[in-house]
Amino acid sequence: MSNLWLRRAVAFWFVAVFILAGLPAWYKLTTIYRAPLPSEYIRSIHQNMHSDVHIVIPVYVRSDTYRFPDVHDAIQVQVNELLRSRPSHVQWSLQVLEYDESVVDQDSDYVATLVLDDFAGFTLAYDSKETLVFFNNEAVMANDVPFFAAQTLVEHTFGAEWEEFSGSRPEKNTGSSEMAISYSPNVHLSISLLTGDGRPIGWDIDTTLDNYFTPLRRFLSPLVNFTVDTSIVQFNDLNVGSIHSGENTTWQDLAHTIDLSELSSMNYYKEKSVLNLAIVFPSLEAGELSFVNATSQRPWQTFMVPRWGSLVLNKAPLPDNVRLTEEYLAPVIYNFARELFQFLGLATQSADLTTPYATIDSFKRVTIIKNLEHGAETLWSLTKLTEQFPQMSVPKQVLSDVEKALDLRLQLIELLNNPEKGGDRTWNQALLLSNEFVRVCERAFFHKEMVQQNFFPQEHKIAVYLPLLGPLTVIILSGLLNALREKEGPHVANNSLTEKERLQDDDTTVDSSERSAE
Amino acid sequence: MRALLVLFWAFLVAKAQEVRSSIDEELLIPNETESAGSADETCIAEDSSFGLDSGNSTSNDKEDPVEEELLNEALQKPVFFEKQDAIKYPFAEQLTLKPLPRNYMVASFQFQMASNNLSVGQSETDFDAYRHYTVFPKAISPILEYTNTRQLHLRFTHGLWDSESWGQLPHKGSKSGGNGVELWAVIEADSKEIAFRHWVSLANSLSGLFCSSINFIDSERTTYPVSSFQPQGDGGLPVFNATNGLFLIRAALANEPICTENLTPFLKLLPTRGKSGISSLLDGHKVFDSNWHSMSLDVETTCDGNDCKYHMEELIEIVFNVPNTLARAEKPIPKPVKESDLKCDESKPHDNFECFPLPQSKEIKFRLSELFGKQIVGSSLISESPSQICADVSDNWKAYIDVDNMLFATDNNCFSVKENKLHDLYLESDDTTQVTPPESVPLYVSRSLTGYGQDSGGLRTVFKNPGNESVNAIYFEALPWYMRIYLSSLKIESADGLEIEDVVRGTYYLPAIDRERPTHLEYNLTIPANTTIALSYQFDKALLKYAEYPPDANHGFEIESAVVTVLEPVRYEMRTATLLLSLSTPDFSMPYNVIILTSTVMGLAFGTLFNLMVKRLVPLEEADRQASLRPGLKGKVARMLKAFSLKRKKVDEVKKRQ
Repeated sequence: MSNLWLRRAVAFWFVAVFILAGLPAWYKLTTIYRAPLPSEYIRSIHQNMHSDVHIVIPVYVRSDTYRFPDVHDAIQVQVNELLRSRPSHVQWSLQVLEYDESVVDQDSDYVATLVLDDFAGFTLAYDSKETLVFFNNEAVMANDVPFFAAQTLVEHTFGAEWEEFSGSRPEKNTGSSEMAISYSPNVHLSISLLTGDGRPIGWDIDTTLDNYFTPLRRFLSPLVNFTVDTSIVQFNDLNVGSIHSGENTTWQDLAHTIDLSELSSMNYYKEKSVLNLAIVFPSLEAGELSFVNATSQRPWQTFMVPRWGSLVLNKAPLPDNVRLTEEYLAPVIYNFARELFQFLGLATQSADLTTPYATIDSFKRVTIIKNLEHGAETLWSLTKLTEQFPQMSVPKQVLSDVEKALDLRLQLIELLNNPEKGGDRTWNQALLLSNEFVRVCERAFFHKEMVQQNFFPQEHKIAVYLPLLGPLTVIILSGLLNALREKEGPHVANNSLTEKERLQDDDTTVDSSERSAE
Repeated sequence: MRALLVLFWAFLVAKAQEVRSSIDEELLIPNETESAGSADETCIAEDSSFGLDSGNSTSNDKEDPVEEELLNEALQKPVFFEKQDAIKYPFAEQLTLKPLPRNYMVASFQFQMASNNLSVGQSETDFDAYRHYTVFPKAISPILEYTNTRQLHLRFTHGLWDSESWGQLPHKGSKSGGNGVELWAVIEADSKEIAFRHWVSLANSLSGLFCSSINFIDSERTTYPVSSFQPQGDGGLPVFNATNGLFLIRAALANEPICTENLTPFLKLLPTRGKSGISSLLDGHKVFDSNWHSMSLDVETTCDGNDCKYHMEELIEIVFNVPNTLARAEKPIPKPVKESDLKCDESKPHDNFECFPLPQSKEIKFRLSELFGKQIVGSSLISESPSQICADVSDNWKAYIDVDNMLFATDNNCFSVKENKLHDLYLESDDTTQVTPPESVPLYVSRSLTGYGQDSGGLRTVFKNPGNESVNAIYFEALPWYMRIYLSSLKIESADGLEIEDVVRGTYYLPAIDRERPTHLEYNLTIPANTTIALSYQFDKALLKYAEYPPDANHGFEIESAVVTVLEPVRYEMRTATLLLSLSTPDFSMPYNVIILTSTVMGLAFGTLFNLMVKRLVPLEEADRQASLRPGLKGKVARMLKAFSLKRKKVDEVKKRQ
């Protein structure tokens, strides 16, 4: 009866196969695919978001009156000194170079021109990226020109970078960010003429837009592409007609009353961001809007609705059968264009876009950095998400998107860091790359199989397999335990039989043999 | 020094502010003069009002603009508004009321509008590309553009049109769909795959726009009609890109509920937004509390050379039972009629407890506001012609329009709604059985399911030609893939001994692919005069996958209506009723039960085998002895029992010997 060891071995083998082969096979067959995301790399990018970025902007220095052979080097030293004076969270520097007509493209490169004048000062051109630095002879004597030039360049020409990159963390710019929509390369503009009643009106919007808005679209096209529609909407005065009570209407009352729902339902635009311009005339029944602060020269008042657009409220209702002329519309459109810079985040106040070329160029760089941050945040959220839900599948598509995004980021940084490049084209290309980077990151994050959360949690899997695996486990384990606890039964039994019992046993055998004999 | 700099800077900014008066002055854009005003005319006026130019439009020297137009000053100073004779937009609306037999009445609201000119071939991101909308809804146009749709037809229909008593459907049936939602479109595309992609995108967009489940349209429900649904009109459809083709695509959602949330977007598409004109009558409670209602939307692209525009027609049609609607308007909660108001048949016994009511009175007087609960709020002021209300009545009816409590009549019973006044229509008749004779229907078609059981069934369609001319028609049917039809089982039943070949002149049959496309059948039929025939065929019911059943699986599966397009003698379109097919539905808790049961069986089998291999096998006696040898109380008891039984055995032996 020594098959106990054999039985123990069998039970042991069952357990071994169950644990070593069965469990891994079950686990393997029931796990979902999780693409291995480079989470360590993403983590390091997220922690040191700008560690590998160093924007270099070339500036060419030209001096018309005096020849300063080494002024660019002197300015470079001053610029470096100035930049070092403030801690910057994004590395950036200017590369001050000597003006060389064969290399410099007046339209796309930064040029600092030193001009001899009666007093020191500077001006930024609004039709090019040129900075004029005026100096007088005393400044030359005191050797102040390089400092002057450096200060003008850093604090004014590149004022936006100086604030954004070298300032304290840019959480402070609440004024503009409250108003501005998040950056998107394609923005839809919806211009509506609303009347509170159904009386016929017309407007010369076509010629007005052609004359006043097309140039702006062309000008902003490296940054934002607009698609524009205009419409006349009857029987909708955004509910402003219900504000009667006269003098002490505040903008809060207006904010609580206006109903933008009809204009805001934008499910039919392809673009992600939509800005509105609504020119509102009250209905005849509602009468004049007493709270509108209008003058005879300007019968309307504008209100900016954060991230939505601009409201142009007219004081008086329109007479029947009138057509708004270009003379009415041009100031409205012009005013909207100025506000547009605020909505796009280009400017913080409607007035400060006196140097559009330089501002837009700076805005491009700031946007590129913001896009880099945004994309890195998205990737970081993605890795956090995948770590948080270990049962969520991570499709291959996500991995390839993440890899593509990281590639794009490297390309972009290479472009930004390259001191030999710096023209308009570079910034435009970098902006495009950064937009693409954001898009790819978001595509990776919002992958349909992940965000829908249509994955089986662990509990479901256990609930389905428990009826089979439960009994099997219990049988196998208890079998092994029993086999282990069992002692070598027969030997012990034989030794422990008493003489009397053995006799009794013999008797019974005799009895049975006798019975069978009978 | 820095202070000086700042001062100078401030001066510069102030200077810049001062001189600035327009964008293009501030931003000196290269080639600006070329671009300004050279744009393609994307918004050419539909009428003279848009063609006016405001003269010195580019001048920037407006220092003192005036608010009101003053004739003397107008020559020198710019004006904000120009007064015009009339600004009109391409919009027209008409309400037609037509009494039907048995006190029914059909009200047909018709709205037509056209878009501004489209910029064909111009990218929307071009600097001078602007889209202008006036009366054409802004919501529709972009959808059509990015799905390359040249024609769009959408139908929301519900109820039963009693064609035997009411005659032809309004507009010869071309504007009403089958029960539920029906959508077909002509899409321009390179290939069928791209067309289908646009189609899905179109369906999804419309679904959002009309708050309807149109997004459930997928390849399983989509057909490409061959002879039916052919675009009407002359000159063909415009193709914007010569290398592309046009694809006619159609799908229907049978018996989809239609509700107020579908009507509201319809009204929002109108320039009057249901606030003036005839649309001010429309109210969800009344529209959907009707015997039959249909909402339709048709958009067509028409081109004249390179100028293209969309034409849209919106129709809302309702059939009321007039006395019932009036009674409900009077008493929203039905109460028994008072004894004094009871009209009993005096030729029969009647008292307080017994009354045989008289037939409904033939006389009727009512106002439109009683039917709709509202009055018409003025006309649509922007349209080229004022809103029209027409009553299509026979001579014994009188129709008046009520303006400021004054009644007016016209010869043709058509009235124009003027200005902002409240309007109402007053209708009166002394014999409601006399109505304009309904136009006779060229063909009656009814379709039904036959057979019983859960594995097969049949479809039987009865065609009845009541006229004296033979009818040529196209019968279109799209059946879901889980109805596996056998075309070979097609049979004809005819009292006149007609054969299939006599009736079916042509067949188009595209068999279904499971889970991919429906069965698509089109017959070209000729039905002789005064004949009734029935076509029938058999089908098998497929088993669906567990997850393919809808939440309410036991309700059955709605089968969309068949569409019959009569080509001769008159052009007429009609739909059969939808069908309800019951498929075998599983017990949805079954999979888990199966898992548990099989697991138990497997567990049992495995346990037995495992025990055979792992446990020791001993004879019974051995087992007993083993048990008795166990230490402890149990072993003692066993030993005692054994000893006791041995003793008894011995005693027995002894007794036996004695």
